[in-house]
Amino acid sequence: MAGISNNNIARAIYLASKTDSGESFYKKVVHFLAKKRLISKSGDILARLNKIINEEEGRAVAKVSSSRKLDSDLKKELEQKIARRYAMKTANIIENLDERLLGGFKIEVNDEVIDLTLKNKISQLQEYLIKS
Amino acid sequence: MNNHIVENLKREIENFSLELKVEKVGKVLEVFDGIAKVSGLSDIKSSEMVTFPGGEIGVALNLEEDAVGVIILGDFSKIKEGDEVKATGRILEIPVGDNILGRVVNAIGVPIDGKGVIKGNNPSTSSGLSAYPIEKVAPGVVTRLSVDQPVATGIKVIDAIIPVGRGQRELIIGDRQTGKTALAIDAILNQKGQNMICVYVSIGQKDSKLRKIEARLEEGGAMAYTVIVSAGASEAASLSYIAPYTGVSIAEYFMDKGKDVLIIYDDLSKHAVAYREISLLLRRPPGREAYPGDVFYLHSRLLERACRRNEKYGGGSITAFPIIETQAGDISAYIPTNVISITDGQIFLETDLFYKGIRPAVNVGSSVSRVGGTAQIKAMKKVAGTLKLDLAQFRELEAFAQFGSDLDDNTKRQLERGKRAVEVLKQLQYAPVKTEHQVVTLYALTNGFMDDIALEKIKEFEQGLTDYSERNAKVFYKQIAEKKMWDEKGEEELKKVIQDFKLSFQK
Repeated sequence: MAGISNNNIARAIYLASKTDSGESFYKKVVHFLAKKRLISKSGDILARLNKIINEEEGRAVAKVSSSRKLDSDLKKELEQKIARRYAMKTANIIENLDERLLGGFKIEVNDEVIDLTLKNKISQLQEYLIKS
Repeated sequence: MNNHIVENLKREIENFSLELKVEKVGKVLEVFDGIAKVSGLSDIKSSEMVTFPGGEIGVALNLEEDAVGVIILGDFSKIKEGDEVKATGRILEIPVGDNILGRVVNAIGVPIDGKGVIKGNNPSTSSGLSAYPIEKVAPGVVTRLSVDQPVATGIKVIDAIIPVGRGQRELIIGDRQTGKTALAIDAILNQKGQNMICVYVSIGQKDSKLRKIEARLEEGGAMAYTVIVSAGASEAASLSYIAPYTGVSIAEYFMDKGKDVLIIYDDLSKHAVAYREISLLLRRPPGREAYPGDVFYLHSRLLERACRRNEKYGGGSITAFPIIETQAGDISAYIPTNVISITDGQIFLETDLFYKGIRPAVNVGSSVSRVGGTAQIKAMKKVAGTLKLDLAQFRELEAFAQFGSDLDDNTKRQLERGKRAVEVLKQLQYAPVKTEHQVVTLYALTNGFMDDIALEKIKEFEQGLTDYSERNAKVFYKQIAEKKMWDEKGEEELKKVIQDFKLSFQK
């Protein structure tokens, strides 16, 4: 039988939290993790729990990196488009400023990346020129 | 000059179209011994190609719940934890074109012979190469044709007793230093003018050995129709693992053009060892001799790609000569038994015979060709028909004859004939013999023309006879070349020529 993965534990915590919530529940979870010697893995379990909750609640979390701050209209439009693309109710955007991207922006949702930055375009051009 | 470069660049940039695509990415969790564990990459397929920053490529082998085990093809020292890995959605493929002939490439099809890039078929564009996936399902049964065309290896003992047909898989097996590679190289050298493309896949061999082989093939004019795929001993195990698949993809490219291809895997024992190393690093459960459970499939799916296709599906064939190195003649070890059961026969080389001076050191008793018989030309079948039986009887009698000297005439005759047969089947390295010459020699042997020639003069007699008969038995030679068989007229002529030569030889 395969071992219990962090994903299984995160899902179990999520399911348990539906019936039992409140301060005492979180204490119980911490006790459980300590008893099973899983405290060192708690970071990963928490990240997975976060992902499960987002999924269950129909929320897409997107990391958008750009060289300049996004204006609010664009942000709203992006949120709508991302929610539609991933068939979710809402979308949360986590902004990330990175001047090295030169221009444009890059959207990361789970393990999908849509790279619309100038940096990517230039490196694609570079690759093409080397190849041809 | 500068203007010219700028103009060119301008044109290239105008031709450039930007591709917008959604990419699947993952992050490197750990890297060790040519293996990377990668998180993410949720929709990745098994054997899919991935790219690392810096251009290194990898192949996804282990798909686990929350990580992917990737083998890195190339330098893994530059890859570090946290690097972004991109899925490509494609199975690993290699660039192939007609100009790959005469070249030495590595396991991912990149030339390593210092002769520059491999140009496409159309010289005006540099990227006219076709991309061939290294993993492909073998041609199905409706596309195949049975083996009935011979591969002339130029090695008497093989062509006469263990004949190989186009599309066959014939294993060459033996201990170290018994002449396995020499046999394969001789077979390549003899393909000149036989309408055959050759692919030599070197797996885990010393670079010095490869250099020697390349020089030998070059010298014999064989590089014109040969490609060498090399995964050297100093390279990562992952490259040794994919090298034979790369080789067979190159072979498939030529087969798809209707050509006949001969591919040599030198050797599959090292290939299995490389795969064992990768599997253990990927933490797959070890089985017998620590090989993983799918080591049989590793070789069966490779060797199934050797085939002869019918005309409707484009014709062409791939004949495979896999090589296996045994330890102390143990053919019942795991990998040798596996490959013996996959192939259509084996050529068994023995150390004892080698040191007795019987070279090629083929053990005729243990060697077999399961389908080659139908591919043998009629003339050869006629002269070599009883040879295997004669040799087997000779070995039995030889053992008995050691106990006593009082033998009847018939036994003595059989012994003398056997000794001459062994002598005739000896052959020097890099000296393939034409089919017509083989037929003449074996005709002389099996019809008793050599019985009264002294044993130490057999080689001299053979050499003289082939030269003399080629000049004087023109009808016979013509019949063999055209009809693959002689008629009464041809036989009469040959008999006379042999008798004439014998007279002059004995004087």
